[in-house]
Amino acid sequence: MEQPIRIEDEVQFLDPKLLKISRNQFGELEAELPDGSIHAPVEPVRTFPLTQPNQYISLLDTHKNELGLIEDISQLKKADQTILAEELKKCYFMPKITKIHFIAGRFGVTEWEADTEVGSVSFDLRSRNDITTLAGGRILIKDIDGNRYEIDNYHRLDPKSITLLETQI
Amino acid sequence: MHGGGFSRRDIHRMARSAGRRSNARRPDVEMTILEEVPAELQEQLEDLLDREEDIKIAISTDLQFDGTYGKDWVLATEKRLLAFNQNGAPGPEIQNIALETIDQIEIRELHGNNFMKVRTSDSAFEIARYSKRFVPKFAEATPEIELLIDKVKPEETDKSKRHRKYVDPGKNKIRCETCGRPIPRWSDVCPNCVEKGKLLFRLIKYVVPFLKVFVPALLIMGVIRLVGVYPPILGQQLIDNVLIPATIAIDGGQSVDPGAFGQLVTIVLMMLGVHVFTAVFSAVRGYMMTWVGQRITLTLRNDAYRHMSVLSLDFYQQRETGNLMSRITQDVGRLRDFIAEGLQDIIGDSMALVFMCIIMFAYSWQLALWVLLPIPLIVLFSFYFGHKMHKVFHVLWRRYAGISTILASTIPGIRVVKAFTREKYEVDRFQEQTHQVFEGEMNAAKLWTLYQPIMTFLTYIGTVLIWLIGGRQILNGELTLGEITLFMTYMTQFLQPVRTLAQMNRRFLRAATSAERVFEILDTPPSVASHKDAIDFPNMRGQVEFRDVFFSYDGEKNAINGISFTAKQGEMIGLVGHSGAGKSTLINLVTRFYDPNEGEILIDGYDSRDIELKSLRGQIGVVLQEPFLFEGSVADNIGYGKPGASRQEIVAAAKAANAHDFIVKFPDGYDTTVGERGVRVSGGERQRISIARAILKNPRILILDEATSSVDTETESRIQEALGRLIQGRTVFAIAHRLSTLKHSNRLVVLKEGEIDEIGTHEELIAKGGTYANLCDKQTELSKIRAW
Repeated sequence: MEQPIRIEDEVQFLDPKLLKISRNQFGELEAELPDGSIHAPVEPVRTFPLTQPNQYISLLDTHKNELGLIEDISQLKKADQTILAEELKKCYFMPKITKIHFIAGRFGVTEWEADTEVGSVSFDLRSRNDITTLAGGRILIKDIDGNRYEIDNYHRLDPKSITLLETQI
Repeated sequence: MHGGGFSRRDIHRMARSAGRRSNARRPDVEMTILEEVPAELQEQLEDLLDREEDIKIAISTDLQFDGTYGKDWVLATEKRLLAFNQNGAPGPEIQNIALETIDQIEIRELHGNNFMKVRTSDSAFEIARYSKRFVPKFAEATPEIELLIDKVKPEETDKSKRHRKYVDPGKNKIRCETCGRPIPRWSDVCPNCVEKGKLLFRLIKYVVPFLKVFVPALLIMGVIRLVGVYPPILGQQLIDNVLIPATIAIDGGQSVDPGAFGQLVTIVLMMLGVHVFTAVFSAVRGYMMTWVGQRITLTLRNDAYRHMSVLSLDFYQQRETGNLMSRITQDVGRLRDFIAEGLQDIIGDSMALVFMCIIMFAYSWQLALWVLLPIPLIVLFSFYFGHKMHKVFHVLWRRYAGISTILASTIPGIRVVKAFTREKYEVDRFQEQTHQVFEGEMNAAKLWTLYQPIMTFLTYIGTVLIWLIGGRQILNGELTLGEITLFMTYMTQFLQPVRTLAQMNRRFLRAATSAERVFEILDTPPSVASHKDAIDFPNMRGQVEFRDVFFSYDGEKNAINGISFTAKQGEMIGLVGHSGAGKSTLINLVTRFYDPNEGEILIDGYDSRDIELKSLRGQIGVVLQEPFLFEGSVADNIGYGKPGASRQEIVAAAKAANAHDFIVKFPDGYDTTVGERGVRVSGGERQRISIARAILKNPRILILDEATSSVDTETESRIQEALGRLIQGRTVFAIAHRLSTLKHSNRLVVLKEGEIDEIGTHEELIAKGGTYANLCDKQTELSKIRAW
């Protein structure tokens, strides 16, 4: 009798020992797959961008077809790891807010001024729905232009930031 | 944001120090691609540039390459592209790229930020990193830089890799053009820039026809308010002139003035009279104002809907249905409330306050001042409390919405819940949510239970002050007992108008925003309209010729990119292509839901724009993929396109459409109600009703848009048969993914990215072995599987 499929077999990770990641002359990501084929430019995609940013990285070719999945970037060779991490950091820009200076709103639009890990920033939100509260006090914010910001755990911010934030969530 | 202007940050600071937001905020993203270059860059530029080399483009970024916020620069001259990248270093790293070496400029659109990249034949450089806020600016600059490159090497331009000219997104703006502030999601006009005065003035125009009722109502209100302040004065006179003298007389052992009882009765009757008068005239006024309000609603609502029906499809495309609906229902209602009640409340309450103040000051200005003392406190408290309450209720409202969400997903999804045995999980989730509602309710209760006592206390301060100050004045003989009673009464009467006026600003603003939204409908001109010399064209033959037609919905991407072909009278043209290839757009142009941007569509040799719209559409029939049935009977729906159609015609059309047989099986036959609240009619049945509708209209040109895609094979053959009858002798444009639907077609037009890829008969295209032949092969394979 035929056995039901084993779903474990459906996911084949790229062998980290056989995978080579480098940059080509145009600065684009180049991947040599375990089967020896070479692809460039390759686009790395986080499949769990919010919960597992460094695991389950999908590599796409120029036609957005998946070349393979990397289980965990820490399994890669040190040099390859650095290149991939650097590229991912470029592809996903979502500064972490460390302090909120100012929030004011009128007609449902709010203007924010905050410090992030990469400098201070001001932005506008079009409605409260642009703020998503996740478990553990984690907060994701999407501004009017489509930029994104996050707060790891808003309970750990300073009291003033918390007070300002709590009027919005 | 440079030069003399304020930066956003400056304004934040100013606003905070001033305690409120500045109204003079400027757009924080200036859409110029020639920004003012700071002095320190200017100096370096002198070394870098040749003499007589001009800066054509100068744009700044808001991100640096290391992923920190900061300002880098990209500059272009007619010779080179320069990038200044600070990256935290004291002096910028400069990339100097000669234009003739540049192959291509790329924009990498990533999550939360973009890169601008320059590619040469053997290398590539990233020259700018910017956040999504600067997307429009860079999108505008890119084709301009490409133009500069083209000038340097005109011979080797690969236009396919060039970026399109940046087009303003038009109506779906996220920021206001005038003030630069974001436009809230619930609105599509900027509430800051609404010209309140002008709008309200325009509203008054709607009041004018009803002035003969409006003005008397206003006068009656003035009288009511004036008379309304009189009873306390009567009370004062009763106490001071009748009761007190009597008490004194009794205390002194003397007999009471025999006329006193008469005076008492007179005053009491007067009090009663005032109340009866006020009550009667309030009722009359209320009725009059409701009439005025409802008349205005009627006019405004009908005007708006009439104008909306004239407006072209693009107006509807750019707005959400709910948004438009709320303009006709809610906004119009809000305007009525404002005109009929708000406006008069404001006038009436101000009058009442003024009258009361005059009287109090006339009696004792010192005491009047004391009475007014707690008023600002009460106003402030109402404001503060209203604000707090709003927040608490908002949270509560969201939590209730959470309950609804859970219910709305688990009740219809109950089969999934049970099949995966997740009942407990769902119950837990629900309990958590209800618990949050409980906490929210208790938070609200905390506030509410505080509100009443505090408000009473604040009011009581006034009362106590009157007793204290007024009492002392009585002791000094400056005030009478009657007068102190009068002050007491006014104190209580004061509160209501004060609270109303405190909310005046909000009411004004809401009304002005609503007015703007309603007037926007009335002010939009239809983009497709018959011009005044348009010809009536009752006997169309139905030849349709496309001549170099170009069309774009957004001005960015051409949906139709130069199409020319002629559909002869009575010919059936099958339109084939992937979704987005332009099939539906082509049809939208035939029906003149849109007009081409370039080129023309000729019907029997006449430009379709010269034909009266009504006359044109009167001879075009449509059968859509998801046919829309209106609320009404089956017969009404079949006869929709031909008002006054006889029963015989309706039944004949239904028979021709293979719809008669299932219609007679309905208990109510042709009188069965369909549509939103009617009986459920299956997709195939709806389709046949809509075919009957098209047959009855007897159009010269017929459009079939995926008419058979959502039905099973059995039904499809019935529909096919009906369609076979419908298309006879008409010019037909048919869209279908299932190529079998197109088997009657005389010719097939294969579209690809808005252009004609192939055109010819089925046999010709199969013989050619191109796109169509390919598509046919794939579908034959599929239909083998589908055969059962």
